[in-house]
Amino acid sequence: MTERIWGILTEGFGKILLASIQVTIPLTIIGISLAMIIAMIMAMIQYAKIPILSQIARLYIWIFRGTPLLVQLFLAYYGLPKVGIVMDAFPCAIMVFALNEGAYCSETMRSAFEAVPPGQLEAGYCVGMSYFQIMWHVVIPQALRTAFPPLSNSLISMLKDTSLVAEITVADMFMAAQKIVGRTYEPMWLYAEVALVYLMFSTILTLLQRRVEKRLSKYTMKNAAVQEALPGEAAR
Amino acid sequence: MSMLQIRNLNKSYGNVKVLKDISLSVEKGDVAAILGPSGSGKTTLLRCMNFLEKADSGSMVFDGTEYDLGHIKKNQIAQIRKKTAFVFQNYNLFANKTALGNVTLGLTSARKMPKEEAREKGLVLLDKVGLKDLAGSFPVQLSGGQQQRVAIARALATDPEIIYFDEPTSALDPELIGEVLEVMKALAKEGMTMLVVTHEMNFAEHVSNKIIFMSDGIILEENSSREFFEHPREERTREFIRRIRRDS
Repeated sequence: MTERIWGILTEGFGKILLASIQVTIPLTIIGISLAMIIAMIMAMIQYAKIPILSQIARLYIWIFRGTPLLVQLFLAYYGLPKVGIVMDAFPCAIMVFALNEGAYCSETMRSAFEAVPPGQLEAGYCVGMSYFQIMWHVVIPQALRTAFPPLSNSLISMLKDTSLVAEITVADMFMAAQKIVGRTYEPMWLYAEVALVYLMFSTILTLLQRRVEKRLSKYTMKNAAVQEALPGEAAR
Repeated sequence: MSMLQIRNLNKSYGNVKVLKDISLSVEKGDVAAILGPSGSGKTTLLRCMNFLEKADSGSMVFDGTEYDLGHIKKNQIAQIRKKTAFVFQNYNLFANKTALGNVTLGLTSARKMPKEEAREKGLVLLDKVGLKDLAGSFPVQLSGGQQQRVAIARALATDPEIIYFDEPTSALDPELIGEVLEVMKALAKEGMTMLVVTHEMNFAEHVSNKIIFMSDGIILEENSSREFFEHPREERTREFIRRIRRDS
């Protein structure tokens, strides 16, 4: 490897990391958080079979799962200004990612809610709990456990999909790499470098996923070696 | 006056009438067994009585208050459920809660009992069903019999006036049935009012004091347990008893 390439890669690494801190990471975190809020609301509406709202939820999911993310980005950033809705590129990207990812996560959450045996709801009613108390203490915790692996998948694909925002002028990691390629004509090295940084982030997420899954699985493990300490007992 | 009365309860699924003009009464301290062939509407009756299914018409008198089952309101259901408890065939324990958590959740969430108080009560109840040592186990780590005993402790937690049991031993392996029946027997001895849908003839004959025999959606015979087994009034009942005597 020549000294020139080494220099380009060093500069590239700094700029890519800076762009990740300024764009990719916040976009991913805010995007998935908003997506989860949307998903919880949509899934609860459908789980509770609320008329009209359920249909609206299904329509939303149908549209956002049925059209390409890149097209949605273009439509929101280049199309909407024609009808008077003008947004900065970054908030526009956040909105599109939240809505797009929200549609996928809605389906994940809905199926996870439905996987909780309905008998547990009945049992909750019989001990005097209200619908929302049962949801909060029984259904949602179990649904989140079930949904966690597919949601982690969604998060990892979303992290990678953020590279599309370069197309609507948001200066993310990928755009940082593109800019240097434009100046140096070293696409091979720089795109490989940016790919490696994405890989690094996905690896971190994968490792996190494994850890959290292990913690969440305490009530699904049949032969847990150590019994859960009684609540309060640990403090003594 | 009876503690609980049902009058003219009707329930259909589509065109199929599953419960026809059911009337019955339960006195305080009764252990009433609901018997009958499968498909006779026993479980549906029990579920209607705790509003897990909605009856089409009929009335219920509970503790001197009359309720219209066809037009029951949410707050009336809540009022009645405060005094009742239900034990399911499949236990229906909360999978994400420990045995203790299962017993206390209704207390801490629905009744706003302080956590420490609920915990102490929960441990007393788990001790009562012989499971204090397993208070920290999750349902998946317990056998069917243990799960059903936790479910009984959970039912007891809210100090019900009556407990409904829906075939509490039917999902259990034969060797686990005994431990659950023992707990139920102990409750009966303490004077707990119980309404039990069951196929356990031994329990019906020796623990319950009253039999409600159902067939095809009607109550064919309501009788004291001794009379029912020794001098059944109805031909269908005699046939039923002959059959189970032959089987066992």
